[in-house]
Amino acid sequence: MTDEFDSLDANVRWIATEARRPVPVDADARARLLEAVRREPVPTSAIPIMAWLTEPRGFSLPPFATAALAAGLVGIGVLGGLLLNRDGRRAEQSAVAVVHPQLPDSAAAHSVKFVLIAPQASKVSVVGDFNGWDAGATPMSSRSADGTWTVFVPLQPGLHTYSFVLDGSHFVPDPAAPMAPDDGFGHRNSVVLVRKPAT
Amino acid sequence: MTDAAYVQRILNGDADAFTQLVDRYYERCARFAVRMLGNRDDAEDALQATFLRAYRSLGRYQERDRFSAWLYRILVNQCRSLASRRGQREKVFIREEAALLNAPDKSRGWAGEEEELVQRILAELDPLLREAFVLKYVDELSYEEMSAATGVGVSALKMRVKRACDRLRARWEYIKND
Amino acid sequence: MKNSLIRSGIVAATLIAGATLLGAQDVRDRSGDPLGKLDPQTRYAVELMLDSAKLAGLPYGPLESKALEGISKRASGRDILVAVRRVLRTLRDARSALGPLASADELTAAAGALRVGISGAELTHLASVRDGKMSLTVPLIVLSDLVTRGVPRDTASLTINQLLRGGAADDDFLGLWRSVERDIVSGTDPGVALLNRVRQLPPRVQAGPPAAGVRPPEEAKS
Repeated sequence: MTDEFDSLDANVRWIATEARRPVPVDADARARLLEAVRREPVPTSAIPIMAWLTEPRGFSLPPFATAALAAGLVGIGVLGGLLLNRDGRRAEQSAVAVVHPQLPDSAAAHSVKFVLIAPQASKVSVVGDFNGWDAGATPMSSRSADGTWTVFVPLQPGLHTYSFVLDGSHFVPDPAAPMAPDDGFGHRNSVVLVRKPAT
Repeated sequence: MTDAAYVQRILNGDADAFTQLVDRYYERCARFAVRMLGNRDDAEDALQATFLRAYRSLGRYQERDRFSAWLYRILVNQCRSLASRRGQREKVFIREEAALLNAPDKSRGWAGEEEELVQRILAELDPLLREAFVLKYVDELSYEEMSAATGVGVSALKMRVKRACDRLRARWEYIKND
Repeated sequence: MKNSLIRSGIVAATLIAGATLLGAQDVRDRSGDPLGKLDPQTRYAVELMLDSAKLAGLPYGPLESKALEGISKRASGRDILVAVRRVLRTLRDARSALGPLASADELTAAAGALRVGISGAELTHLASVRDGKMSLTVPLIVLSDLVTRGVPRDTASLTINQLLRGGAADDDFLGLWRSVERDIVSGTDPGVALLNRVRQLPPRVQAGPPAAGVRPPEEAKS
């Protein structure tokens, strides 16, 4: 254990060392606690006294639920983000909790056509969650002078938020698409839902 | 006298023996509560609730669980409950805003400031990451003990500790580069 | 309400005819570190929120995406932080309302609904009507869009509710949306447009009985 501590980054070790300092304890708070304890009924063993005579088996790691019961903790809310599997069983808890993937089995991209009529623009691109909102990533092309800009973009099935960018800096939503909520930056985005192919 | 022996005495009617147990664990638990909750008042409430709950549940404590681990479990849960009840996630000092606006200045010297500084840095972490880091490197629990206290698997806890360390390390990087 | 922008691309293009061209900053980051363009403090703060999203089992893509969007739109670090936090908060609230089995898309759509003022209680109610049989994504998108365009919240919410109970499918919602949007753009009052078009839906779909007392569902007790 000391090895792990020693191999920590120096700054992190400093944080841990400082955090180990004892905090001043309020004598009153402690006294109040003991007062409260004295008012409690004396606890009695719910376990046959024989259990105390067994040799301690050392620390074991019982499954979570069993341990909770054994420690008399039923009823204490455990806010640990327990996840339920689809069938309702408690899922393995992991540090990065699993988000149930909703993409279909064939997560093949589908080509979506974006169109914008903007005759006055000299360049138009589409930006969205599929290209990191990068204005340079997906330029649109205007074949003729009528100002119709198009591009085909392969999109994964699911919900996508996007916008058009005119001349590198002017963000406009897609007039033909449902609107997303206010983007938080003073503009309005559009959404497109790419459906998986009918099976 | 071992913890278990104290428990035995309490169950046999010697309620004052609980005072000994409290003496043994109060400061340690207080430190955890303050590091987690960020302020003394909440910490004291959590401590009160923890030791009372422990006292009431003593009858169901079984010796195969080490007493400190059992107590820590109650403590961890009480701190989580209290944090949730007090809406600490969205508390006035919103964590990320604090990180953005109040870059701590390591160059300042004196001890009281440093503890406040560390408290602020810890407060920036997601509570679950903070919890893992504190249990590991402040309370120095083993991963097995941490697992029993939090109900989270060992590998998940290791990942959380690592992520917490990554965040904390990055924190200093960003300060240095300012 | 930027009706002019919504009306047609032509109008939108006309509006920008006189716009000055700002210096185009290259926001592309080829290094595989998308958040690298953020200043260190903002970046750290955003990563704290990504941590929270991951630990809570929420989709973190929308948070990352929002940060990138902010970079692209040249927002300040502070504005980016506020926007990302809002995404996190509404996703959390959406999860509370819809439950742990909601998909990432449903959560995003629900977060959008919350943003336009639909309450968590109403969302929970919609989820219970749908009863997990089909995704709520499209109904919620349509709901949010219509409210954004001016349909009164209660009207929109109750209508969607009614359609769900009548077993409306995604295509029904999308078809409805298209016709209502067209009407609004042509000048029809949004609430009226919605109610008119609903009446034109196939009887099986609008057959859902209106909510008892035509009241929004009560706030869930906390």
